[in-house]
Amino acid sequence: MKIRPSLLLVLLLARSTIAAGDPAAELASFSVFDKIDINELVKSDVETIHGPPMAGRFLSVQSCYVVPGSPEKQMAALKNWDPTKHRELKVFLHFDLPPSPTPENFSKLKNAPDNGSVRAFVSATQKLSNELQISKEEAKKFSTSQNGDGIAAVAAPWAQVLSARAKSFVSGGTAALAPYDHSGEAIRANEELQSLLKQQDKIRKQFSGLLSESGIGRSAGSLKPELYWELLDVDDHGVVTLGASYNRAGGNYQAADVLYYASGGYYVALTLYQMWPVTADGKAFTLVWRGDMISAASLEDLHGVERLGSESVMMKDISKAVTLFRRDTGGR
Amino acid sequence: MHCRSFNWVAVGLGFYLLNTIAPAQDAITEHIPSWLRSGEYLAEDTYVADANVRRGDQVVRDFTESDSILRFVLTPRTRLGVLRLGAEWERFTFDFPNGAQLPDTLQSASLVIGLDTQFSDSILLRLEAQPGFYGTNDLGYNDFNMPFIIGGTYIYNPNVQIVLGVGVDIERKYPVIPGAGIRWKFARYWVLNAVLPTPRLEFEAAKNVTLYLGANIKETGFRVGNHFGDTHGMDDRLNHALLTYSEVRTGLGVVWKISSILTLNAEAGYEPYRTFDFYRVDVRYREDGSAPYGMLSLHGAF
Repeated sequence: MKIRPSLLLVLLLARSTIAAGDPAAELASFSVFDKIDINELVKSDVETIHGPPMAGRFLSVQSCYVVPGSPEKQMAALKNWDPTKHRELKVFLHFDLPPSPTPENFSKLKNAPDNGSVRAFVSATQKLSNELQISKEEAKKFSTSQNGDGIAAVAAPWAQVLSARAKSFVSGGTAALAPYDHSGEAIRANEELQSLLKQQDKIRKQFSGLLSESGIGRSAGSLKPELYWELLDVDDHGVVTLGASYNRAGGNYQAADVLYYASGGYYVALTLYQMWPVTADGKAFTLVWRGDMISAASLEDLHGVERLGSESVMMKDISKAVTLFRRDTGGR
Repeated sequence: MHCRSFNWVAVGLGFYLLNTIAPAQDAITEHIPSWLRSGEYLAEDTYVADANVRRGDQVVRDFTESDSILRFVLTPRTRLGVLRLGAEWERFTFDFPNGAQLPDTLQSASLVIGLDTQFSDSILLRLEAQPGFYGTNDLGYNDFNMPFIIGGTYIYNPNVQIVLGVGVDIERKYPVIPGAGIRWKFARYWVLNAVLPTPRLEFEAAKNVTLYLGANIKETGFRVGNHFGDTHGMDDRLNHALLTYSEVRTGLGVVWKISSILTLNAEAGYEPYRTFDFYRVDVRYREDGSAPYGMLSLHGAF
């Protein structure tokens, strides 16, 4: 069947009009949530389902929920939420960073709790384990400057490595980051992020404006990131990680949160948010879409039911995190 | 904006693999239709030595067994879940002395048709049928059977999963066999993988090497030939009879993940239990003592 160009234009315009005026239609245009009922979502918990299947070492999950209040309020709540209050999330330390981080900004690392995960992190550092995701140049810092016992023995070199990476990110985005090449194949965070987004084309297009102004999968953009670092647990191993958040308000509420460095466990992780003001029963609510994408070596070779299993666990974890977030912020 | 945790990166129900040849694999798979890009395979052989079985005063002594398996299953992802489409061949051969009332070959050639799907974020479901021929030397349409399994995995958390299932084979002595199991990662390097038919206690000795103590439990129905009884002990009740063959192996094994798509598994131990059961005519041979065995397999997924 042939469609005349003028008719095609009308159809395209009609589609974009629907998308612009109807949050549910816009959500359906780029996400896996084909059909949502705002009134039902107001009454329900977070809905989480796996994203489009991703190949290689990538996995994605998408979530959708409705919370009371405006998108601005949600943006602020996301920014201020402290995950360390919830032990089940296994985030041991979380600190914000200034725009020009120095090693002193990571001094709290030496106060990390003494548990199995942190001991595994210290042990991997002291042995310069192949699992450590650092560059060859960074490895030299660890081989020459470890004094004391426990986390204190490795805190100083890690503070140097983390501050240098955070500075690189601020100045040149993920494109400026050193590769993980200490143990062989060079893995570049920038390429991982680009590959993640390449496999999620609808999402990439939906967030192209925000991403093009950020340092995610590219050099530094015009938006200023809010920086932070964390010590968390990944499969019973402590991992130090660097993150950055971006958000954009004013008609199109979007946010991005990237973990652009991790000492192990995963290469990069990216969470994108889109929010819409909606009304239900005469009250103001915010419809939130959240997309989580991750790149990790341990996912590379999961197939069939193993991959389904990983997706299920990822869905459960994100549901749990969102539920705790909503509880803390009065969203549920 | 940091509401996340990272348990999933370690999961995959306990499978860790290396990625040493991923670039080469990517180059190859670019030219392959997407539904052919995901699958799994197995080539396995087990040798059992010095076995005896007994039926009353009748003893069949010092025979050996070879159990060979070839399996190839494509696992394309669809909206419904992961399809399982492939084929499997398994052949048991025994060097019984002349006059034994037992078949020297049991074999099956079947299709594998199944689906793995997410019932919710906590429950995975597997439905799988293996329609095919289950007989002795010469397989024919009389040997057709279609055993199937229905199983579910409840993901309690990344370290604990509970499995429930049922295996159905209408030509087996016990047509419906329910099963339950648990996979529990109870310490950093230790996993209790108590799931039938291969329960194991696993120790991750290195990133790509796992040692285990475990068992392998097999029970399959086969139909012998139309004149089997006439030529094996002159017992015409055994003509075209159904035979349920069962065995249990217990041993120590090592799993070496050589690359992202190739894993070598070696195992050795003893086989404490085995029966050849023509259950409809009450002719049953049981293991007399135990027999040593060794197993090698190559398997992987892509």
